[in-house]
Amino acid sequence: MTHETSGASQNPAPIVESLNARVTGTGERAMMFAHGFGCDQNMWRYVAPAFEDRFRTVVFDYVGSGGADLDAYVIDKYATLDGYAQDVIDLARALEIKDGIFVGHSVSAMIGLIAARQAPELFSKLVLVAPSPCYIDDADYVGGFSRAQILELLDFLDSNHMGWSQAMAPMIMANPDRPELGEELAGSFCRSDPEIAKRFARTTFLSDNRGDLGAIAAQVLILQCRDDLIAPLAVGDYVHGAIPGSELVVMNATGHCPNLSAPEETIAAITAFV
Amino acid sequence: MSETPLDYADLFETAPCGYVLADKDGRITRANATFAQWVGSAPEELQGKRFANLLPIAVRIFYESHVAPMLHIQGSVSEIALDILHTNGNKLPMLVNGTALRDDRGQVASLRFAVFTASQRRNYEQTLLHSRNEAQASVLSERAESELREQFIAVLGHDLRNPLASIASGTRMLLKEQLSERGSMILRLIDGSVVRAVGLIDNVLDFARGRLGGGITLTRDDREPLEPVLRQVIAELQTIGPNHQIEAAFSITEAIDCDRVRMGQLLSNLLGNALTHGAKDQPVRVMAEAAGGQLIIAVANGGEPIPATALERLFQPFFRGDGHSRHEGLGLGLHIASEIARAHGGTLTVASDPRETCFTFTMPLARTAQA
Repeated sequence: MTHETSGASQNPAPIVESLNARVTGTGERAMMFAHGFGCDQNMWRYVAPAFEDRFRTVVFDYVGSGGADLDAYVIDKYATLDGYAQDVIDLARALEIKDGIFVGHSVSAMIGLIAARQAPELFSKLVLVAPSPCYIDDADYVGGFSRAQILELLDFLDSNHMGWSQAMAPMIMANPDRPELGEELAGSFCRSDPEIAKRFARTTFLSDNRGDLGAIAAQVLILQCRDDLIAPLAVGDYVHGAIPGSELVVMNATGHCPNLSAPEETIAAITAFV
Repeated sequence: MSETPLDYADLFETAPCGYVLADKDGRITRANATFAQWVGSAPEELQGKRFANLLPIAVRIFYESHVAPMLHIQGSVSEIALDILHTNGNKLPMLVNGTALRDDRGQVASLRFAVFTASQRRNYEQTLLHSRNEAQASVLSERAESELREQFIAVLGHDLRNPLASIASGTRMLLKEQLSERGSMILRLIDGSVVRAVGLIDNVLDFARGRLGGGITLTRDDREPLEPVLRQVIAELQTIGPNHQIEAAFSITEAIDCDRVRMGQLLSNLLGNALTHGAKDQPVRVMAEAAGGQLIIAVANGGEPIPATALERLFQPFFRGDGHSRHEGLGLGLHIASEIARAHGGTLTVASDPRETCFTFTMPLARTAQA
């Protein structure tokens, strides 16, 4: 293999392809939507289009999820959220994003915070949807789960190979103009390689990223759902209290995924912020 | 029998699977009697509870982060393995299908679940998983063992070659001294034995590497001539049978793209075989020529022909023609020679009749797919 310098700018950077990034919308500023554990960029299908008229919108899949490149998964790199944050930074740089808006759901909220701290020029606004810096209770801190419960989850994922749709089905990729072919395949959304899903769960649910909160240059909006089993109200309050100047909106939406269960309320809250 | 109207209500309640209806947020609006009985509740007790709350906390996280999004995005999930909690605290392994019904704006309006017991299936899967993990562990330990073996063989080969090299150089130094005729003869025999031992070590190492997955590796180049290497082999092998006549005829004018060390080993093995098994009073003839796009190396000897039954198995490892030989080789020489031929994209064949036994190596001069 030789390096070719000519024509490189015409092709998308490798990271854009390996993270299956889709760029749509028009606008000077970019808005990047990042999915959480258990799903893929489809998480944002009811929300991201609402911003396409004013922003360049970016959705993507983390390595090991959805249509991202499985071979790009490196166990050590993705053992901490820093590895995922590095991918967000690399993708944002490849797309030449400056002063953009990062919208991260669940674990991506923390990934976005880490990325914005390491590369402050990329994002000037962060929307944290159902964030949790630490899922496990610790002394006075209420994360919502005991360590034993999280370990039980990891065990469950270990034995539950039926729960995941294999991240394969290349025929869907081969027929982008006929999405109904993909739709017919059960589990064509939120696919993940079970092994990687297991490791992503470990990274997500065992991480303690409370140290990544604190003052940050970017403006921060926290969207908290009322009845969220995974990130309860107390956690939203904690995040709000730990990031000076942050804004907290408690939504009427229930569950962990307001971007799916209450897209209109989610869009309205984000619109008011940006 | 007259037709009786189907009692759908009864079918719903007592179907051999659980039915759970829920609102868009997963709050149960109705569960059938089968499901209620499985989880140890009355059907009306389940109303208003969130479906996710019937799951152990760990499974709830999986439901909220994966299953619920799938229901929204895809409109259905199928064959999702979940544990559901009995009111007595026991976990019931279940398989769940779910669908989402949408309102006329396309928003999810309600959810439906069909729940199937899956204890036996889960048991079976756990057993499979266990076996798979064990198999993986044993593959890993075997791999580690074979690496150790490979290292052992490499070290052994190296350690055996060193003293042989000392013996060889000592022998050659002694040959320059004034010696009795008997002394010189013994020294020449020692020298021949050293050559044979080195060849045996090479073959054993190659065979071991081949078995361990390394195969015969080639270092090809066409910059140096091949003929001197072949002549050197003949000179060395002459020491094995100093009185056995070797006739050589070479006709190689062009450069040969091959691994010269391997070619030397191939000739050494064929020639060693001929000197060992051929009639001592008839010459061994070595012919090498490059012509017509081919390199041919042939080694022929006289003596008893090889029986037809033995011919078939001649190139198999550890094959030794029984009966007429007092020499007890390992039976690897011809096998390795044929492997070297194969690695070069060539062939090694044998023809044997009462007149002569001839091994012929042929390889194409233009390199094909063999890289």
